Amino acid sequence: MEREKVIEVRDLVKKFGAFTANDHLSFDVYRGEIFGFLGANGAGKTTAIRILCGLSRPTSGRVMVAGIDASRRPEEIKKRIGYMSQRFSLYEDLTVRENIELYGGIYGMRMKELIHRREAMLQRLSFTSYGDTLIRSLPLGLRQKLSFATAVFHDPEIVFLDEPTSGVDPVTRRQFWEMIYETASQGITVFVTTHYMDEAEYCDRITIMNEGKIVALDTPSVLRQQYGTATVEELFVKITRPQRTMV
Amino acid sequence: MFLLRKEFRHIRRNTFIARAIIAVPIIQMLVLVPAVTFEVKRIDLAVIDSDHSRASRELVAKLSGSSFFAVAATPQSVREAESMLFAGNADMVLVIPSDFSEGLAGLTRPRLQVLVDAVNSTSAQLAWTYLNSVVRDFNRDVLLSGGSPPGQAGGMIMSSGSMPGLSVLPHYWYNPTLNYKYFMLPGILVILITAIGLLMSGLNLVREKESGTIEQINVTPVMKWELIASKIIPFFIIGLFDLALGLSIGWLAFHIPFEGSLLLFFACAMIFLVAVLGMALFLSTMASTQQQFLFVSYFVMMIFILMSGIFTPVESMPVWAQQFNWVNPVAYLMRINRMIMLKGSGFHDIAMDVGLLSLLATSLLTLAIRAYRKRA
Repeated sequence: MEREKVIEVRDLVKKFGAFTANDHLSFDVYRGEIFGFLGANGAGKTTAIRILCGLSRPTSGRVMVAGIDASRRPEEIKKRIGYMSQRFSLYEDLTVRENIELYGGIYGMRMKELIHRREAMLQRLSFTSYGDTLIRSLPLGLRQKLSFATAVFHDPEIVFLDEPTSGVDPVTRRQFWEMIYETASQGITVFVTTHYMDEAEYCDRITIMNEGKIVALDTPSVLRQQYGTATVEELFVKITRPQRTMV
Repeated sequence: MFLLRKEFRHIRRNTFIARAIIAVPIIQMLVLVPAVTFEVKRIDLAVIDSDHSRASRELVAKLSGSSFFAVAATPQSVREAESMLFAGNADMVLVIPSDFSEGLAGLTRPRLQVLVDAVNSTSAQLAWTYLNSVVRDFNRDVLLSGGSPPGQAGGMIMSSGSMPGLSVLPHYWYNPTLNYKYFMLPGILVILITAIGLLMSGLNLVREKESGTIEQINVTPVMKWELIASKIIPFFIIGLFDLALGLSIGWLAFHIPFEGSLLLFFACAMIFLVAVLGMALFLSTMASTQQQFLFVSYFVMMIFILMSGIFTPVESMPVWAQQFNWVNPVAYLMRINRMIMLKGSGFHDIAMDVGLLSLLATSLLTLAIRAYRKRA
């Protein structure tokens, strides 16, 4: 049975002047999967994710997200996706409830439904006691969880997470991944970039980028076998820096 | 609208901004209105009295008796007086010749010599005018008291003094008491809402760029106009609120007369605010940090305000400067405010200015909307 593609990228090129950030990327992402996007700093992950979210236009190539062309109708894409950026981006001087209300409102939710869903979400995250706390006074781990929950609050088809767990302690990271699994089980596709190779093991499929190009793409286990490594971390090092691992 | 509620929450949470919204107009009105004035009140006068007569002492007494002059020193030589003028201890030197009292008796024609520190040409001219009128008064007193028969060459002459005979009686319309505050106050109200509109709204958007929150908004399907409206409306309201506050202070503290229609006054201010807020948004789309924005907008604001005619009449500026004011919203409101407040002008008197200001407001807002990108 052919699985449904929610993201289809063919020969995506993004140039900034003479610098090529994305060099002919091609890949598909299927509905409901957790798609890991790995790469060293500056490999072009964030550039690609921003194009997929409609924040930036491709120089050339075909990018379809949720069936919509990212070069032509980026605003349409925005209705169907959620996004959690590398930089923390909830409003620090608003409370937890106010932030959720703002985003729910922007996506056109009715007030009654919004409040109902918001309270259900706070309950699920055991966040109810923080509801009226300003974001500024929340610890980082909680902020990141809330940020994720807000990104999927409007039930998007795809959620893009750009290094969501950087700087977060291991326990919170684990909880965060539990949230990711739960989200994926609801049929929301999760597109995640990360630096942590142990996290890559949790993904259904991973792609590794190096210097603007995709150098590997498959499930973690297939790639490990293919390159004969025990972990994704070794695999990553082997692929991105071949000259140093040829011992 | 959710975005609007969010903006108001930001403003309310930021206690500093919330207080500034109230405090700035109060301070600006109470400090600037009385302080920024061209009235010359206390001219320090150095008098060299070479005559030492009753008449010369009377003249000096008359001068120091007026509220404009204070006899700061009585140097013995012109040289000493000059050094006082140079050091700034005196604004003006009056030299009374030794034949002064003889002259009053009609024997000679004495000449008073006046040296003025003219670094500030406006105050120098004013000082000269005041002195002239005091001396003219003195002259007339002497003539009336019958020092010498009228018609004969009695009294003294000043280099440009006028002889009595024909007198011109000025009537100052629209500001009968020549109260400088009345002239400045409408202008300072304009500065007030310019600063608030330009800085608060512009910084707001740039701050969101800096913190990265704008990216989160940009990735939502929110419409560009909704976003821009949410950035404009709060500061539009704050601008009008501060204008009303400033005007009330002007009325309570300085009893400024308000001749025209309040409705027209606020309607014009609204058009103006749209222009200023459009400009603020346009500038903020170009800046990526608050520092950049502040630098540029400070510069823009200074040029707009200084060229608007707040201190110096636009008509005496060079032609290119007058032409620049076609695109200077501050210049329009400066003129409109003064006309409405002091002259009581109605709509048809200022229709041209209102029309051009509206055009400018529309263009600036369009420019801002076009320049704003829901990206990067």
